[in-house]
Amino acid sequence: MAGKSKTLEDSFAALEQILEKLETEEVSLEDSFKLYQDGMKLIKKCNQSIDKVEKELVVISEE
Amino acid sequence: MREKAYWVSEINRYIKHIFDSDFALGRIYIKGEVSNCKYHSSGHIYFTLKDNQSQLSCIMFASNRSGLAFELQEGQSIVVFGNITTYEKEGKYQLYAKEIKLDGAGVLFEKYMQLKKDLEEEGLFASEYKQPIPTFSKKIGIVTAITGAAIHDIQSIATRRNPYIQLYLYPAQVQGQGAAETIVRGIQVLDQMDMDVIIVGRGGGSIEDLWAFNEEMVARAIFECCTPIISAVGHETDVTIADFVADLRAPTPSAAAELAVADIREVMLQLKEYEKALLEKMTGKIQNYRNRLENRKLRLEHANPITQLQQKRQYLLGLEEKLENSMNNKLKQEKYRLAIFSERLEGLSPLRKLQQGYAYLTDAKQNAIKSIKNVKEKETIIVSVIDGDIIANVENTIDRTRK
Repeated sequence: MAGKSKTLEDSFAALEQILEKLETEEVSLEDSFKLYQDGMKLIKKCNQSIDKVEKELVVISEE
Repeated sequence: MREKAYWVSEINRYIKHIFDSDFALGRIYIKGEVSNCKYHSSGHIYFTLKDNQSQLSCIMFASNRSGLAFELQEGQSIVVFGNITTYEKEGKYQLYAKEIKLDGAGVLFEKYMQLKKDLEEEGLFASEYKQPIPTFSKKIGIVTAITGAAIHDIQSIATRRNPYIQLYLYPAQVQGQGAAETIVRGIQVLDQMDMDVIIVGRGGGSIEDLWAFNEEMVARAIFECCTPIISAVGHETDVTIADFVADLRAPTPSAAAELAVADIREVMLQLKEYEKALLEKMTGKIQNYRNRLENRKLRLEHANPITQLQQKRQYLLGLEEKLENSMNNKLKQEKYRLAIFSERLEGLSPLRKLQQGYAYLTDAKQNAIKSIKNVKEKETIIVSVIDGDIIANVENTIDRTRK
């Protein structure tokens, strides 16, 4: 499962980082906007990645 | 008198009668180790049960084979239920087995401890091999029996926490002969299917029931599995080898489902909170920049020459007003002093004296007469009173000392 698309864990970690950066004074307004937009995009992606379809149990049968 | 002699068959029949009428020998459990085990073509099994001091012949008839669930092997510790009686024909007594069980408490526990020790030494339980359990799994593999409480519990808890998760069940046999093999196969199959996490387990049972999870092949399959594995065998108090090798041990199948499946409501809430925090931080940032801008604007305005000029003018106006005020005060004060002086002066006026009946004397040349020495006899003097002057002549002067 490594590789592929970002997992929710990764996204959450990235969001934490963005928030932390936004909190520091040194970030310029332009960079702040960029961070903000990245964060919002991530949240949207996370929401989309939660496939909101109820699923049935799959029973694996061999042979 | 010669004592009566018995035939061999007679005495054997007699002994058999004694055995058969004995209450204890009719229903008895005997434990020991298997040796000289022979499966006869007739279906009967002949073996010897022994401990370290003694041995006992045993037979299990084909008709009682349903009482044996495993293959009898040399060295096994077993408990045999049956009756002890004699075989008249050979004059031998033996145990007729109806049920044979592995002596779980003894041998199984020893086996368990030995395997645990070996695998631990080999490093299969080492924490550095433990894989983290992903927090937000989407696909969860389950190796357990298709019937049974475990799959039901896992399914209901997983669905309650997050109905969008896909569960895959590999229906395994979780007890009895061949159980370990199906569990191993299940782990391998699911490992190939790109699961986020795999739950391996079953509901509670006796040590024999849970035995498959103490098998070395299951332990190795768990160890070699690339997907993180949560073990969930029996109840809280049951700890199997599988639990030690697994990346995470859940006390029960229900608990495993809770560990594997993140509550979707919490995930959604967390996302909402991130959104809120982002917005707050950004707004704060903008506000901060706005404040800084406002601050600089104020400072710039302050530095403007027109402002400076205005301020100076203001200052000047202030000074002017102050000056005027102090001048006015001064004038008022002086006027007041003047009034006081005039009052005092009035008290000293000669007219007031004249009014009181005094007179003022002068000679013809208007010189004030203050002494008798200032006049001569017959000289004309002017006596000034309040309403006019009296012209008079001096008759005489009399020297008088006044105090």
